[in-house]
Amino acid sequence: MTAEIAMARRRPRAPKFALALPSIVWYTAFFIVPIALVVVYSFGAKDSSKLVPVDFSNPSTSSYGEVFDETFFQVFRSTVRIAITATLLCLLIGLPVAYFAAFKVSEKWRAIVLAAVVVPSFTSFLIRTVAWRIPLAPNGMFSKWLQDIGLVGDKGIQILETAGAVQLAIVYNYLGFMILPLYVAFDRIDIRLREASKDLGAGRFSTFFSVTLPLAGPGIAAGVLLTFIPMCGDYVTATVLGGAKGNMIGAMIASQFNQAQNWPLGSAMAVLMIAAVLLTLVVGAAIVWLVPRVLALAEPVIQAWRRAQAGKPRQARVAPSRRPALADAVLHRSLGVWTMLVLTFLFIPVGLVFLHSFNRGNSFTIWSYAVSTKWWGELFDGAVFVQTALLFAAIVVLAVVARRLFKQRVQFGGGYTAWLVPTGLVLALVVNGVLTSWYANLFDFSGIGDAIRNSFVAAFGATVVAVVLGGTAGVALARRPGAWSNAFMVVVFLILVTPEIMEAIALATWFPRIQNVAAVGYVFTEGWGPFNGGMNKLWVGQSMYASAVVTLIVRARLSGLDESLEEAAGDLGAPPARAFRQITLPLIASAMIAGGLLSFALCLDNAVVSSLISEAGSTTFPVALLGATRSTIKPFWGVGAVSLFFVTMASLWFLVVILRRGGASAGNIAATITGA
Amino acid sequence: MYTWGDYNDPDIIGPLAESELGVKMKVDYYPSNEDLIIKLAAGAGNSGFDIVVPTGPYIPQMIEKGLIQKLDMSKIPNFVNLDSAYTSRDWDPNNEYSVCKNWGSTGYFYNKTKVTRKMETWQDFIDACMNEGSGDCAMVDTAPNLCGMWYWANGYNWNDQDPAKLDACEKFLVDEFAQHIKAFDSYPSTKLAEGAYSLAMGWNGDLRQAYSRIADAGGNPDEWVWVLGAPATELWMDTYCVATGAPNADAAHAWINWEFVPEISIKDLQYHGYNTGLKNMDSLVAELAPDLELGEMIFFSSDQVATFQTQEITPSLDRMVDIMNKVKAKAGA
Repeated sequence: MTAEIAMARRRPRAPKFALALPSIVWYTAFFIVPIALVVVYSFGAKDSSKLVPVDFSNPSTSSYGEVFDETFFQVFRSTVRIAITATLLCLLIGLPVAYFAAFKVSEKWRAIVLAAVVVPSFTSFLIRTVAWRIPLAPNGMFSKWLQDIGLVGDKGIQILETAGAVQLAIVYNYLGFMILPLYVAFDRIDIRLREASKDLGAGRFSTFFSVTLPLAGPGIAAGVLLTFIPMCGDYVTATVLGGAKGNMIGAMIASQFNQAQNWPLGSAMAVLMIAAVLLTLVVGAAIVWLVPRVLALAEPVIQAWRRAQAGKPRQARVAPSRRPALADAVLHRSLGVWTMLVLTFLFIPVGLVFLHSFNRGNSFTIWSYAVSTKWWGELFDGAVFVQTALLFAAIVVLAVVARRLFKQRVQFGGGYTAWLVPTGLVLALVVNGVLTSWYANLFDFSGIGDAIRNSFVAAFGATVVAVVLGGTAGVALARRPGAWSNAFMVVVFLILVTPEIMEAIALATWFPRIQNVAAVGYVFTEGWGPFNGGMNKLWVGQSMYASAVVTLIVRARLSGLDESLEEAAGDLGAPPARAFRQITLPLIASAMIAGGLLSFALCLDNAVVSSLISEAGSTTFPVALLGATRSTIKPFWGVGAVSLFFVTMASLWFLVVILRRGGASAGNIAATITGA
Repeated sequence: MYTWGDYNDPDIIGPLAESELGVKMKVDYYPSNEDLIIKLAAGAGNSGFDIVVPTGPYIPQMIEKGLIQKLDMSKIPNFVNLDSAYTSRDWDPNNEYSVCKNWGSTGYFYNKTKVTRKMETWQDFIDACMNEGSGDCAMVDTAPNLCGMWYWANGYNWNDQDPAKLDACEKFLVDEFAQHIKAFDSYPSTKLAEGAYSLAMGWNGDLRQAYSRIADAGGNPDEWVWVLGAPATELWMDTYCVATGAPNADAAHAWINWEFVPEISIKDLQYHGYNTGLKNMDSLVAELAPDLELGEMIFFSSDQVATFQTQEITPSLDRMVDIMNKVKAKAGA
């Protein structure tokens, strides 16, 4: 017996990184090599007569010189300025909200506040950005009202097509990505530490600054990373709102590839942008590292000063028991008001998107002072729509009624009957899909309908890739670390800190090169099964960032759990595959679901990578909308965005239902969805 | 179809194409010919697009790079409806690869309550942009047009390849002019209605639509004036081509052919406001669209047409793209 186990344990093992092998191949083929090529291009010269418009006969650093040229460098500086300002603003605006949600409200309200932070992001990022044009337009209603009350001059609000509009919209677009990690960090703080601090006589502020804030440090760092990096590479916001003055480096890089055909210059800009991002992060980290140490050095001085203070006779203090109560109430109230204001801010563009989808005029951003369902009719075939909705509702109702009946008649455990609703929903979806050939006839104006469908297929496929890659790599990192894992983590970290626009240009210049390679190229030209080549490209492009996120989440989850469970399984004779299936997989399931949800949301809204690599036939909603923003945006884009919003909400609700049937509490679900 | 923004009547692309032609159209948009070429080149014959709509002078390089295929004229019998003035152009003398979709010109649009001087030429436009319209003017987002404006204002032909002129053009646009630009916007009509600019350079059809958008937004269209560029301006012609490797080449031909049916062509013309170049245009309009508004922004007099210059693709185009690139960087500084 003992010998057998010893044998089993001595069985030759695959190399430690075996499980991470899919990720290693994937990242090498679609991240390391293409990005390395971009670096190579940056040393070439522009030659637009060739299909790959770079000439290497004379490698030089002249493109870098050009970037440092005053003209281009200005844009660089203003980008970093906008991003740093926006990150700080997000932190300042978001911190009180996260604090309020974590410490000051009941669990029910906490869920509501968090949902209110998340829900606006289920409306397309791009349409919300466009929607800011509505209240900011100099001829708009809001501007006229401000003129009437004399707050702005008779030219109206003069903020569109400036860096100011970009700054506002960037803060808006990334605020949620700051609030959620902050909330998670606050929520994890052991409440006893805060209480101990208070019991030991620390005031509200010293508790916050010496206990709460340092403990929330990782959350702040995560929030800063999640906002600052994408801001640096953002080109959508600047394109839609910035005009010539609010230009950002992301837009400038994209235009080197889209319009100017100056790959060397664009590559040099991208390389320098990454350098700038890394440098800023290093400086930021250095400051964060230094501050507590400097404070620690100063600690004896402070202590001495405090002792000196304590030695002096105290000034008479008003009954301490009453004042904190009052101050508490004031603090509580003002935090609440602030949170309300921030949430309102988050919902402004969403409300405008809804309203303007009922605009009677011909353009989305210009309100015609008349409500009409004209554009809804333009997009949807009404009869088919009603038919589809009724069918769906009927199946769901049937499932619910069946559950009730079951519950009354049969008294066996809720376990089985509880699954009836989710099963009904799946059934409804499938039956409905089959009967309507996947809603092919639902949309009268097929362009948007196809785009919505493509968005879902692309996001779903990319999520599957991300979960598989991230799950396996995460397990390997947590359970089989070694020399390889450091190198691997560097790549994952690079993927996370590389602004999307860099990955976009890398892939956009890489795919044409590998299209002629046998077998591999076939997938990206002809596609396979029902998925065309463009869709395969989207899966690759969108999965990159998403899989890195899943990897980190899964790794974090497993590192927190000790390996003894799997070892026990092994000791009891379970072969590794079975131990993995029965022990490891259930352990990481929730992390994979969380990661999957996060990546689904990210992919569904992906505009940057997708727009540079997409093709006809695989155009997603954000890509199509980005194309439309170049001329007049018709109100049916609003209709499309609203429909997409409801479909996304329904999918998430569906997931929540399943999770809840699976026995998770509301709090667990919120934590899962926010990626905690 | 991969085309310019808002370039066909949505009724024609949508319900009419489906009911009359049995074709479900899908449309994507690009903002410049450079964008189109790069996208097609990246797809390497597999971009998935059927119909593309390049501007005439770009056709030779697209043929050379193998981005578009020969048309099967037997499937486009309605081609005979096209006026011979718009066939057999230099870039495709035998119409082997392309047929005219429509043509137009470039001018500008301004609010006369903001710019009160009399505006007639490109030089007036440049002066206004640098003075009372500074920081309140938009330029089209294509390099040849931006540079062309300087050439026309100075009485040169924009196809002039003299490097000294290109240098002077760059010096002026980058050092003196760029700082006054508010936005690069090839379709300013909606944003004019939002009140985002008081002056904008643009194409006749889009600026024609600006009048109705301004009215939609509760503004006063009478405050706005359209000026055709002078002393010279461009004549551009956009063409229908079929992309190499088009998955639905037959449907593409059918669509192109259908677009030459007078009823469809005039309906499109009413929507986008560009001359579609059919024979006997005057009588067709009188018959099919008697209440067409702002016809003077669509049909130009022979005196005006005499001042039009068609772009040639010369080595200096590359240089113009670089100039544009620098102007954009400088404008954002």
